[in-house]
Amino acid sequence: MAAKRKVSLQAVVDFIDKERPRDRSGSIGDVIGLAQSMADALESAIARHDRVLHVEFRSMMEQIHTLRQDVVTLRPDQMRSDRLPEAGRELEEIVNATEGATNTIMEAAETLMAADDSDHAAYKALVDEKMVEIFEACSFQDITGQRVAKVVRTLTWLEERLASLAERLRVDEIETPEEETDDERRRRELILNGPQVTGAGVSQDDIDALFL
Amino acid sequence: MALDLNMPVLVVDDYKTMVRIIRNLLKQLGFEDVDDAADGTEALAKMKERRYGLVISDWNMEPMTGYELLKHVRADTGLAKTPFIMVTAESKTENVIAAKKAGVNNYIVKPFNAQTLKGKIEAVFTD
Repeated sequence: MAAKRKVSLQAVVDFIDKERPRDRSGSIGDVIGLAQSMADALESAIARHDRVLHVEFRSMMEQIHTLRQDVVTLRPDQMRSDRLPEAGRELEEIVNATEGATNTIMEAAETLMAADDSDHAAYKALVDEKMVEIFEACSFQDITGQRVAKVVRTLTWLEERLASLAERLRVDEIETPEEETDDERRRRELILNGPQVTGAGVSQDDIDALFL
Repeated sequence: MALDLNMPVLVVDDYKTMVRIIRNLLKQLGFEDVDDAADGTEALAKMKERRYGLVISDWNMEPMTGYELLKHVRADTGLAKTPFIMVTAESKTENVIAAKKAGVNNYIVKPFNAQTLKGKIEAVFTD
């Protein structure tokens, strides 16, 4: 770039050397000629920059086109309108079914706890009735298991597509500083880890040992 | 401090079903006076209104967690000696250690059974 600028300026210098009168005075014609020479030099420089910018913009456009195609393969429309809302609905159904079953079971247990057992036959009939209610309520487990499987399938579908996109974009080559969100900071400060998978957390026996 | 089945017990949990479970278990153990609060803020307000003999609290609640409630209770000279049991799904060692440092009397990890609850309550009042 510096060499090119030197060449352009040299054209101006040459013009001045060639055209200026010997007595070093100048006319309006000299000034116009000088301006024309400078404009020519600038035009040449701009033309060169135009070619560089053109190549760079074309490269950017190609990258954007490729990125768009990669995003399309993620099926964001289907993800937004179908898969993720459906997974959310399944989770809500799971919570509702679990809560409903728990309430049914607890109501049965509370009824039995409060029941009058002085009449043995009536008490046994009540126990039998409540036991059937408890068995029926436990059937929620089968349905929630199937709902959980659907949610897992959605998460797997999403994970596979995101992994594929990340690989094509080579995002693992980009180092990004991890910024902590407000929610993450709150969870860290208040030590909110949530339930652990079986075997990952400390057992009640381990906890008891800490309190001896 | 002796265990008194007539003492008021405060159960703090944002999950109504868990409150109901603990309430029923306490009833089975002989406790009749059981109150509840949905988070640390409500619990702290109730504790300033009434002297509870025991607090059984979950950890993960909003806006005030059980851990924050514990620290508030221990920092308040009027409440500092209230027995406090944490009943929570938070089962990482760092949680247990933090709770112990903050002055919790005992720690129960969910899911738990009636025998565990009974044992921990008894341990708090025999220490």
